[in-house]
This record gives sequence, structure tokens and C-alpha cells, in this order.
Amino acid sequence: MWRRYGDAAYTLMTLAIFGFETIALGALSLSFLLGSASGIASTPVEGILLGIVISTASALALLGLYLLSYHFISNMRDRWQADQLDQWTEWWVGLALTGPGEPGVNPGNRRRLPRVAVHSVLSLLEAVKGEEGDRLKEALASHGVDSWFLRRARSGHLTAKLDAIENLGKARLPQSFDHLLDLLHNAKPVVRRMSARAAGVTLAVMPPEPGPDSPHARFIHAIKHADLQPGVVQESLLLLETRAGPILRELLADPDLSDTLRWVALETVGRLGLADMADEAAASSNHPDPELRAATFRCLRRLGSVPETAEGPLLAAVDDEVDFVRVQAAHAAGFLSAEAALPRLEPHLEDTSWWVRRAAAASLARLGEIGVATVRRAAESHPDKAAREMAVQILLEADELTPAAARLATGVA
Amino acid sequence: MLATPRLTDARILVVDDERVNVVLLERILEQDGYRNVKSLTDPSEVVALYDQFEPDLVLLDLHMPKLDGFAVMKLLEDRISSDTFLPILILTADIRPEIKRRALSAGAKDFVTKPFDRTEVLLRIQNLLETRFLHLRMRHDAVPEGQAT
Repeated sequence: MWRRYGDAAYTLMTLAIFGFETIALGALSLSFLLGSASGIASTPVEGILLGIVISTASALALLGLYLLSYHFISNMRDRWQADQLDQWTEWWVGLALTGPGEPGVNPGNRRRLPRVAVHSVLSLLEAVKGEEGDRLKEALASHGVDSWFLRRARSGHLTAKLDAIENLGKARLPQSFDHLLDLLHNAKPVVRRMSARAAGVTLAVMPPEPGPDSPHARFIHAIKHADLQPGVVQESLLLLETRAGPILRELLADPDLSDTLRWVALETVGRLGLADMADEAAASSNHPDPELRAATFRCLRRLGSVPETAEGPLLAAVDDEVDFVRVQAAHAAGFLSAEAALPRLEPHLEDTSWWVRRAAAASLARLGEIGVATVRRAAESHPDKAAREMAVQILLEADELTPAAARLATGVA
Repeated sequence: MLATPRLTDARILVVDDERVNVVLLERILEQDGYRNVKSLTDPSEVVALYDQFEPDLVLLDLHMPKLDGFAVMKLLEDRISSDTFLPILILTADIRPEIKRRALSAGAKDFVTKPFDRTEVLLRIQNLLETRFLHLRMRHDAVPEGQAT
């Protein structure tokens, strides 16, 4: 009820305290009664006092009884639920692996599934897909659970709605996909957020279909036109798993895509490490919006690969007027050849921004021996103190700091 | 000469805090003929069971309360000698590349993303066990005649 651990100790302590109190008050009541019989409680005050003592003892006894019963019953209930969960899990696993009719006992004969059965099958659907997952989904539909979730998802009660959307996301039922897309236009941001998430995981397991009206196309249309926060769109794209690539490719190829969605798509490509999409990502290298240029170079840095088409814009961006673009470009330049990147990066060891200095030094150190030598030279003899300090710091982190550089660097080593 | 053990004789340890996942994996393995499968829903018991069971393969969930998959791998790392190939197959719903990199550097040998496909899980298990047994055989063959235990 209000604790999770130490049930046994708490019960014993409660029993001891209430038992002691009850016995003491019982003895007192008895002595009062005996006294009353022999004329001790003969005044009205004593009568009232006696009544108070008896009622307090009864209340304590009742409370003690309640607490003990509570622990006993809740313990029994927990065990019963665990047994039910095990039974249902075995049943669902059997159904998933061997098909209908194979498992021995069928606790699913009842039309309406109990809550524990639904909980069990939803947990399983989070673990298994393919033929086995399809069998479980069919079983859910045959018990009407999908329609029940959809009715609750459309209900006006927010808690019921959110609960149903979460369960639909766990179940990944293709028949719920369009309903989830409709919910992306709900007035409440939390409903839109949860629906985007559920739609993403559902699409991830739906078979790919060609055509302008495919689930893939409907999903893209929905996220373009719904009022969703960038983080929500990104999360739903990340949840697409292997289906994310084609959708991100289509988004990035759209010349009319909003800057916000383009930014989200670039971030997602980088976070999913979709290295085969480096060319599509690099297409935004010259975008007029500095946020998008920075996102492009951050994406390439995460992919660890810079396509040839992006080399020119990347090298130019190392000198970008906006410092956060320079930071990302300097990081990504570490994946270019030393001949191309070194002359551009070296001057930025004395950039006005600490972040750019750090990115430049780190990328130089990644360019191989020639890059490390440049950073070591900067640590020993660069005229700018900030450049020397940053170079020493990077050499320290790369375990490349020589005693000479350490001695010559001012106040860092 | 060391006889090549049958894959289905391999000792497999399943560690997942979700009872449902454990039952599912046990049944999948059982149905495919694996006979020596033990499982845990409390990862804090992993070391004791590892010492007792000496598994050929560990199927490990990454996100668990109290002790996550990374911590479990750290605990096992201390008990696995450097010349032993103990495959750890990670089962996770987290597909972020940085998580995979972190797990690989912590000792994981392969990944299966949840929700998983039964055939894919079984194939990965088979591949890892074949590698494990080849490694054991190579170690055995490297020991001079008469010294093998």
C-alpha cells in the first residue's frame, strides 16, 4: 500500500505495538469492568472513562486486524497475479511459437481478456516480431482488444486516451496506424507526442508498400502537416528503425521541406549512423540558415564520412562567420585528408571561440602523424597563448604530450 | 582429440529482468533443441550462476534496473580470462549507434534488436556458439599432448 520493502519486519512491528496496546487496554477495561461490578466505577465520570478505554481498545484491535488482513490479502493477491501472469505468458508464448490450438490449456477461451493477459501479450509484442508477433496480434484482434484500445484512444478521458495510445504503440497493430496519424492533429500536445511515437513504432514493423498512398507516404504527410515539436518528430523517426532510411531520404530530397524538419532529418541521420546517406545530408552544406549548416556538418561528423561533393563547402565553413558552424565544420574536417584539412584547421588554433579552437586541435590530432606534429608544434611555439594551451590539452587527451611541449606550454602542463 | 560438441548441448545463460522475455527465450531455445538453458531475472545473481553454470553463451538485456547490462558485462569481465572467448549476445530495444559501440567495447559480441525475429535470434546464437566451440577446440589443440585437461 505505502511501502515496497521490509513488509515482514513492518508487519511484525505493527503486530507487536498494536498487540501490546490492545492487551494493556484490554486489561485496563477488564479491571474497570470488575471495578464497576464491585462499585468502583460508580460515578458518571468513571463510566465515561470506561467507555473511552473500551472503544479505544476496540479501535486498536480493529486497526491491527485490518493491517494484518491487508498484508495477508495483498500477499495472496500478488501471488495470484504472478501466477496468472506466468500462466498467460506461457499461453501466449506457446501460441506465438506453435500456432493456435497447440498449447494445452487455453485461458483465453473467455471473450474478454483480463488485464493481466493484455499486459502479458503487450510485453511479448515488445520482444518478438515476424510470424510469431503476427500470431499474437491476430489473437488480440480476435478478442476485440484492438477495437477496445481504439475506442479508448478516441475517448474524451485523457488518462484513458494516453493509456490506450501507449498500448497501441506496444502492440504495433497495423490497423491502428491511420487512427494514430489522425491523433497527430489532436489539440493536446501530449496526445500528439504519444501518437507520433506509437505511429513510428507501428510503421517500423509494417511491410513496405510502394505508391503515393502507402503507410510510408501517409506518415511523411502527417509529420509534415501536424503541429509537432522537433524533438517529437525526431523521436518518431528514430523509432522507425530500419524503415527510417527511405523516409529520411525522401524528406531530405524534398526542396519544399521546412527548415525545422530538415534540421530534424539531419540530426536523425547522424544519430542513426546512416552512413549511406552522407550524400543526401551533405546537400545542405551551403544552406543559408546557419543552424542547418551546423546540423549538416554535425551529421557528417557523426557519420565519420565526408562525401566529395561536401569537401569544398566544408572547408569553406571552417571559416564561417558563425562560430557554431565553424565548430561543427572543424570537427567534420577531421575526416578529410590531411592535405586538404590541415591548412584550414591550423589557423583556427587561435580562433576567438574556445569551442572552435578545441574542435580544430582535436581534428588536427585525428589527421595522423602530420596533424599530431602540427598540434605539438603549436603547443611548443605558437605565439598565441590560447592556441598553445588548447594544443597541450588535446595532446594530453591523446596521450601525445612530449616533455618539451609540456615545459614550453604556459601554465597548463 | 576433443570431440566437437553439439550446439544443442551448449550451456546458455539468459539474463533479463522481464519475466516475459525470459520465458519467450527459454521456449524458443527449447523448441530448437537447446537443453542446457538457465535464466535470471535478477542480474545481481549473475556472478554466482556464472561460476556454477559456466555458460558457453550469455543472452543479456541491456536496460535493467539496479544493475544494467553494462554493469553485468563488467562483472563478468573480471571472471573471464583473456584467452577465453565467451560470447555475449545483447538483446536491446535501443538502436542508437553509440549504445552499440559502448556495449561492444564492454565485451558484447553481437546484437539483436527488440522486437526480434525468432529465426534471426537462433541464427546469431548458432553463429556465436560455433565460434565459441571453434575457439575451445583451438585452445585444446594448442595444448601439448598429455597436458590437456
